[in-house]
Amino acid sequence: MSAVDGLAVVIFLGLAAYTVLGGADFGAGLWDLSRSRAQRDLVVRAMGPVWEANHVWLIFVVITLFTGFPGAFGVLSRALVAPVSVALLGIVLRGAAFVFRQYGAPDGGAPVRGTALWGRVFAISSLVTPFAFGAAAGALATGTLHPDGSAGLWRPYLAPLPLLAGALAVTCCAYLAAVYLSRDAERMGSAGLVARFRRRALATGVLAGGLALAALPLLPPELGGQLLGVGLPAMLASAVSGVLGLVLLWHRRHALARVAAAGAPVGLLAGWALGLYPWVLPGRVLLTESAAPPVIAGPVLIVLLAGLAIVAPCYVFMLRTLRTQPDQPE
Amino acid sequence: MIDDLTAAREQMELSLSFHIVFAVLGVGMPWLMLFAEWRGLRTGDERWTALAKRWSKAVAVLFAVGAVSGTVLSLEFGLLWPTFMARFGSAIGLSFTLESFAFFVEAIFLALYLYGWKRLAPKVHLLCAVPVAVGGMASALFVTTANAWMNGPVGLVAGPGGGLVATQPLGPFLAPTAGAQMVHMGLAALMCTGLAVAAVYAVAMLRDPAKRDGYHRRGLAAGAVLGLATAPLQVLVGDWATRAVADAQPAKFAAMENVSRTMAGAPFHAGPFEIPNALSLLLYFDPHATVVGMDAIPPPDRPPMPVVHASFQIMIAIGTALVALAGWALWLYLRHRRAGRAHPTDRRGFLLAMAAAGPTPFVALLAGWTVTEVGRQPWIVYRVMRVPEALTTQTGLATYLYVTAVVYLVLAVALVAILRRIAHGATPADPVPSPSTRDEVPA
Repeated sequence: MSAVDGLAVVIFLGLAAYTVLGGADFGAGLWDLSRSRAQRDLVVRAMGPVWEANHVWLIFVVITLFTGFPGAFGVLSRALVAPVSVALLGIVLRGAAFVFRQYGAPDGGAPVRGTALWGRVFAISSLVTPFAFGAAAGALATGTLHPDGSAGLWRPYLAPLPLLAGALAVTCCAYLAAVYLSRDAERMGSAGLVARFRRRALATGVLAGGLALAALPLLPPELGGQLLGVGLPAMLASAVSGVLGLVLLWHRRHALARVAAAGAPVGLLAGWALGLYPWVLPGRVLLTESAAPPVIAGPVLIVLLAGLAIVAPCYVFMLRTLRTQPDQPE
Repeated sequence: MIDDLTAAREQMELSLSFHIVFAVLGVGMPWLMLFAEWRGLRTGDERWTALAKRWSKAVAVLFAVGAVSGTVLSLEFGLLWPTFMARFGSAIGLSFTLESFAFFVEAIFLALYLYGWKRLAPKVHLLCAVPVAVGGMASALFVTTANAWMNGPVGLVAGPGGGLVATQPLGPFLAPTAGAQMVHMGLAALMCTGLAVAAVYAVAMLRDPAKRDGYHRRGLAAGAVLGLATAPLQVLVGDWATRAVADAQPAKFAAMENVSRTMAGAPFHAGPFEIPNALSLLLYFDPHATVVGMDAIPPPDRPPMPVVHASFQIMIAIGTALVALAGWALWLYLRHRRAGRAHPTDRRGFLLAMAAAGPTPFVALLAGWTVTEVGRQPWIVYRVMRVPEALTTQTGLATYLYVTAVVYLVLAVALVAILRRIAHGATPADPVPSPSTRDEVPA
């Protein structure tokens, strides 16, 4: 395996981490669209310490992509203008709105004017961003995108598969968040919230599975063939994890359900990536076209692996330290 | 409707300016927070601890805004300048890869810091601020090297297809201006933070004399010492950076110093004044040395001179004024210590000066970036790729510009409102009986 292949694997791992960790944060934002104060408080509590570190996975993926595969990054930047722009708007508004809301009323004082409005902005941008990313992934799968962006700004996304993929991404985020929040609520000892999020997790889990199945007949034949060939283990893993997650939830095994729940979207993502590989735009642009020369890819891969070896234990330490009912920021 | 190239340039300028103004605070504040918590732990003075807690909230908000506006930039490079990224993404990749890890470390330990006040032992909690401060500074410096590479691309060789291929992963760190740019940027972040923080407390003391207490004095002192002590260093580093530019980018240098034609014994311009032979003397320690002027640069390769020169002069003027302010502040403080005169913060004039000084390093920061970015024009990668060559074929970029302008305006207003709100609220009173605790203020 060459260093460039290694970079491709690292990018996939980063994407998977962003899908699960970042996705759960976006999903938590969706559950913030609720009248229940307790539910919204749980969302802030669960997201507050982790969302920034989780967000860095996106930056990590973007950077590793343009370092390792600058040609592919250039092509994707031209072809995915609309969804990436929408996602960026969502990312900026989501992040800013979350901290504005969180720190808008410190010291128990009166909230700054507009704090409640930022709460709405936070929730809505949490919906828009994963939808845009999902639609981008769907459009890549359809093979209708052009490397110079000439397929149109919006048109490639207003097709059944990209729209369905957007909805699937949103549903997966909601499912992941509901599973994680049900465990967080359990740890807090709030039976009411546990029941609430367990119901939501079951409903969104079933819905996500249904949407994933509905997407299968919409796939272009080559991609469908790849999925049933090289991508089959990934699809099976996704299906098994999805069912297992629902069974564990049903039996109220919330801690175990979290692990299984992560497997379903990661399996889908792996299937998508394997189905596309070695293409970025199917039939038009190869991932390895104008990849970084080995003299760059090698050292960068070493830095990436060393960096991950440092960051991963720090992240786990942070999660463990702050796991049980984190202190409110002072 | 403005044309796409202008719109893309303006968009870059807008998103960089927004990011840089708030990101420097996110880089500098953790150092103040670290210092305040350390003082609080060492002396048991709860006013320092209260300052650390207050500042950590500001860091939380600034870090979040810096993170999302930085994400915008990393994707915008591709959206607006896909040809640049497709050709040279791997050349500047290592800078950004290192930056992403610095950022991870900062995010993880900031979470531990913000949410771990009760959960971690005090010393462990203090230690968590170290990776936050170091990570923030490192990420800023790593990104700066990518800019240094654009000013002096290192390690490009002709590939098999005729195009240039990156061969040096450490290229950004080996760029001729990398060292000067990194130190200049790092000091700028500390200067901006220190003077902004000092200005917040100076304004509070001016508005309400009751706030001339130990808490506000400490806040002002920590910020003023950080901001003013770095000012003279920054002038020296600025000199280093100017020399580096003179060697590496004669066109930018000619624009900065307003040297229209190549001449021996070039004069130095300071506002409306012209000092004969001074530029040659400053640059080469020889009053009759030859300085390359804009006439030596082919017309299509010339940057716009008036903007670059004016920005450079603004930066120098602010730097000089801040060194003078630093000298005055030191003199006042020494007179207070040695001759028992009034504490500097009891002087309205000093508070007014500190309040007025607050925004100035930010103006200098933006002026400095104007010098380095506009001074590089018409190149996106110096002498390798012109800006129009890098532009996307996507049209209607003005729309993106307008949306970005509106969103960033709203965010900036909201952010300042939240920061002001964080600065308000109850503060710990001075211990009773109140001795002259102000003497503990570190010099």
